[in-house]
Amino acid sequence: MNNVVLANIFRFLGLILLQGLVLKNIGEGWEEFPYLFVIIYPLAIILLPLRTPRVLTILLGFVAGLLIDGFYSSPGLHASAAVFMAFCRPYVLKALEPRNGYNVNYSPTAARWGFGWFMRYSAMMLALYLFFYFSVDAFTFVYLGSILLKTLVSLITSMIFTLIYQVIFNPVD
Amino acid sequence: MFRIFELFLRLSGFFVFLLLEILCFILIVRYNHQQRVIFENSTNLFSAWLQRKTQSVADYMHLAEVNDSLVNENANLVFKLANTPKYAHGNIDSILWSKPDSNYQVIPARVISNSVNRFHNYILLDKGSRHGVTPHAAVITAHGVVGIVRRVAPSSSVAMSVLHLQTRISARVRNKGYFGWLNWTGKDTRSFSLNDIPKDALVALGDTVETSGYSAIFPEGIMLGTIEKIKLEPGSNYYSLDVKYSSDLSRLAAAYIVKDLQQAEKLELLDQVISDDE
Repeated sequence: MNNVVLANIFRFLGLILLQGLVLKNIGEGWEEFPYLFVIIYPLAIILLPLRTPRVLTILLGFVAGLLIDGFYSSPGLHASAAVFMAFCRPYVLKALEPRNGYNVNYSPTAARWGFGWFMRYSAMMLALYLFFYFSVDAFTFVYLGSILLKTLVSLITSMIFTLIYQVIFNPVD
Repeated sequence: MFRIFELFLRLSGFFVFLLLEILCFILIVRYNHQQRVIFENSTNLFSAWLQRKTQSVADYMHLAEVNDSLVNENANLVFKLANTPKYAHGNIDSILWSKPDSNYQVIPARVISNSVNRFHNYILLDKGSRHGVTPHAAVITAHGVVGIVRRVAPSSSVAMSVLHLQTRISARVRNKGYFGWLNWTGKDTRSFSLNDIPKDALVALGDTVETSGYSAIFPEGIMLGTIEKIKLEPGSNYYSLDVKYSSDLSRLAAAYIVKDLQQAEKLELLDQVISDDE
């Protein structure tokens, strides 16, 4: 029980530092192709235990987003996307529910629900996150094409990094 | 009661979500340059749209009044036409008429927004560079001078109203030739003052004040107002005249933008002389 909480706190802090200090620099200074963003810190929210209260999930999303905004110096942008993604988490989980339901004591990880399930789950969540983030970044739907392209490219690269994270850590809870 | 509480608990996630998104939105608009610009532009577009809509209603209300003043103006023009030796071509959007000494282009415009209750008032007009409006063009109505165009966009322009503390119109007393500067006093929409008229000038109450045409902005001879009070400060060589303005700017619906086609030339010439002196 306490192990789960501690694991989540470490994951939360570790992913934010990784995102803000390392992954932020990928794709930067590549002006000809401004579509490449690697964003995996939402895993901190994605991997929260299933029994986490919904309000707490959203609040943690907000805090994580604000911290990332501190690194990216874009107050509110990442926070709004993370809040949106955290808000949508129950719906995504509902859509991907296994035939015999969830065991609420588990976390939504590959070790518990299978590799394919986890990849689909994290891809959907990241897609929601990235689409919202790039929409707010553009702040208009005039450039919907560019928003969708950014979402797609960043989703692919972010999923590659999610896969690497999964292979290295293979978190159970 | 418990039911309501239960409902609230069930929706609490949504409320928290909404609250935090609003907070994020405020942060984004306040601290991110690009998003703030887009946000402000959109709100400006929206308020301009709203103003246009309310204006179209107001226009309809003022139809009778506008009609009257147009009839008057028509009569005036017919009279002028009969008395003008040389009258040149015109088209739907603009009339070009030639006086012996200068050419003016007249562009009819509608007033989209107008203010009279500040010290620096501006008028938004629905004609812009696409229709030939340029900065420093004069804005007049049948009753007199209204303002000067300051900024021009493709299909709208902003004119500085004469109700602006920095207004200085070169004016003269009709048929007497004395000229001075007309300023707005800032008190009410029709009280202006005419300064720099020498004290030996023969001015009388009720004399008409009109534009002098010296400024390369206004054509000469446009009505400005009538002299209401003559004051002479002790020891001063110049009159300070209270002028009752002829046009009521608080009831403005349509105006003409008058462009001096030789303005650039005139100003350039003046600039040259000034720089020669320096």
